Amino acid sequence: MGISMSDLTAQKRLEKVNLIKRIIAMVLGAGSVVMFFLPYAQFVFKDTKYVTSGLDLLIASGFRVETGTVSALVGIPVLIRIAAVAGAVFALAGAVLIFFKRPVLSGLSFVLSAVTPLVVLLSTAGIQADVTALNISNVTVGYMAPFVYVLAAGLACAVLALSTQGVEKLARAIFLTFACVSIAAVLTITVYIFSAGIPAMAQIGVFRFLFGTTWDASTEQFGILPLILASICGTAGAIVIGVPIGILTAVFLTEIAKPKVAKIIHPAIELLAGIPSVVYGFFGMLVIVPAIRAVFPGKTIGDSLLAAIIILAIMVIPTIVNVTENALRAVPKSYREASLGLGATPIKTIFKVTIPAARSGILSGVILGVGRAIGETMAVIMVAGNVANMPTLLGTTRFLTTGIAMEMSYASGLHRQALFAIGLVLFIFIMIVNISFTVISRKGAKVNA
Amino acid sequence: MRSNTAAVQTAQPPQPHKPQSLYRKKSHKSDIVLRVVIYTATVITVAALIGIIGYILWNGVPHITWSFLSSAYSETRESMKGILPMIINTLYIVVITLLISAPIGISAAIYLTQYAKQGKLVRAIRFTTEVLSGIPSIIFGLFGYTVFCILFRLQTSIIAGCLTMAICVLPTIIRTTEEALLAVPGSYKEGALALGAGKFRVIMGIVLPCAMPGVLTAVILAMGRIVGESAALLFTSGLSYNMPNGFFSQIMSSGRTLTLHLYQTAREAASPDALSIAFATASVLLIFIFILNRLASLLSKVLKKG
Repeated sequence: MGISMSDLTAQKRLEKVNLIKRIIAMVLGAGSVVMFFLPYAQFVFKDTKYVTSGLDLLIASGFRVETGTVSALVGIPVLIRIAAVAGAVFALAGAVLIFFKRPVLSGLSFVLSAVTPLVVLLSTAGIQADVTALNISNVTVGYMAPFVYVLAAGLACAVLALSTQGVEKLARAIFLTFACVSIAAVLTITVYIFSAGIPAMAQIGVFRFLFGTTWDASTEQFGILPLILASICGTAGAIVIGVPIGILTAVFLTEIAKPKVAKIIHPAIELLAGIPSVVYGFFGMLVIVPAIRAVFPGKTIGDSLLAAIIILAIMVIPTIVNVTENALRAVPKSYREASLGLGATPIKTIFKVTIPAARSGILSGVILGVGRAIGETMAVIMVAGNVANMPTLLGTTRFLTTGIAMEMSYASGLHRQALFAIGLVLFIFIMIVNISFTVISRKGAKVNA
Repeated sequence: MRSNTAAVQTAQPPQPHKPQSLYRKKSHKSDIVLRVVIYTATVITVAALIGIIGYILWNGVPHITWSFLSSAYSETRESMKGILPMIINTLYIVVITLLISAPIGISAAIYLTQYAKQGKLVRAIRFTTEVLSGIPSIIFGLFGYTVFCILFRLQTSIIAGCLTMAICVLPTIIRTTEEALLAVPGSYKEGALALGAGKFRVIMGIVLPCAMPGVLTAVILAMGRIVGESAALLFTSGLSYNMPNGFFSQIMSSGRTLTLHLYQTAREAASPDALSIAFATASVLLIFIFILNRLASLLSKVLKKG
């Protein structure tokens, strides 16, 4: 009897706490709705200043901007209009839902209302693009208290609403939210790389951009064929050299070496993977480049595609060794025993049985290596010479990655946009590599199962 | 396996009257060639490693002096060639990045291992995490520059670099933590659940503490990645080398890390003197990486034993 009594009081207290939480959430949510009518953001175009509330952002036709002679109407991006309303609507929905004891739905709509200021923030880039066309460079956008309030209150209300469900569900919701950060990150990166890269491609012309052979910022010639070819040749060269060495090293470590020896070499290779790419580049600059100059006297200044290939080959080895090692270790012992039992020598067993059995794992290692080589920037920038020539083995070259890194600091206008377009091309390359990696490793998992 | 081949190699040539074993009939010349090839490949890998590390440390370590580690840097003044600002900037970036991404990454790993059931959402999370780990750092740099520096108006600043790096290292943290959490025996969890503890309490009280060495490994691996990163920070945290005065003013302004300092000094080095700064910086970097690497493998040993 006593237990159930204390249970009852605990229950009552819990209900009371939950009621208070719900009331606070409702009040805060109502606050977000009120904020819709208060000054939300401020736009300053040179000397015209606009203070806008959420309502203004919804109904105003645009900003009248006058620059001496020209007077133009700068439109408000649709996304901003939607977001400004959505902030209030979702907050209202959240408050109503929590009143009717629907904590999950309420939490969700509070989160959505908290996201809207971020959408506004991200969409102001559209306004800036419009205004740049009017030759106004100094646009400043200021955000005011309601902007911050909607963001903060949305999150606070979501936590309050979910916490009425008990700590278990709240924890689950928070863990889930964080788990989705990678999805959000990949989505925003994709959207940004595309939206930053496409305008330049459209302006230059996709064909002229991808297949143009001259890159010269001063005459606004932006053809990236040399860069694409250099990246492909460099990666292919690194793979051709690095993959056999990597696979054979992994074979040595798993099949031949005594455990003692493997125990020394394995961490050493892990260390090789951890060396910063700048250090590789530095080494290449001081050792490999002069060596190439010495081997081919008079034919090259040393900074060349070949130097980049050698450095990249060294850089992909640890990746390939690691993945191949895992793949080889996953081959069942019985395969090897069967082969040896049939009279094959240990070496034959390795090349005819073990390696073929680990094929898909090794292939995914190779693809990872390709990804690493294509994306490498700093090591290449230090050894490849960075002139946008058509790639020849001993001539200076510029890769896609180094093309971006070299000029980003001072580029402006179309030039800068062209660099973003290079980023887009690189991104598409990497996505192809990534997706083939996923497909192959999934196939491998199926075969092993 | 080894003794067999050794026996074959030293065996007498076959005699016509005695029955031959199946094993001996085969030609083993190709075996020896392949064996030599395997050894050569391993030697090349090890030689590359020893060559790079040896070359850098040999030329760099003699130049690491206390004043090099503890003084500020100036491009013009001969007396000021220290790397203290770069060390501080690197530390700031490591700490802030981890403060942002470790809670997110660990929570994500907890969700994936403890709560998630196979489904579209989980597959999407895994796929995007994989994609994220494959994106080259220059793309992160480009993205960080447009979003954090320009859109969020952070300019080129250390905090913009941190936000960029936080996305960069997320996959490392998620994956390593996931492995550590999966390694915790299911019986621990079941025992706690049977005693009536809620799932959240089981995770916080049992699973996470048991997986702690693994979680720390994840954090250390991420540290290594941040210390070694350069391309993603080139446009986001920038290249200035002012001596930091005050935490908040420093993280809102541009500052180069050790890697970028090495890049910049190596490119500009005209005299052997200037080159020695680059060598010493590279050595400091290698020593940092080496320590982190050792720590990570020590911790994973602890995890295996535990």
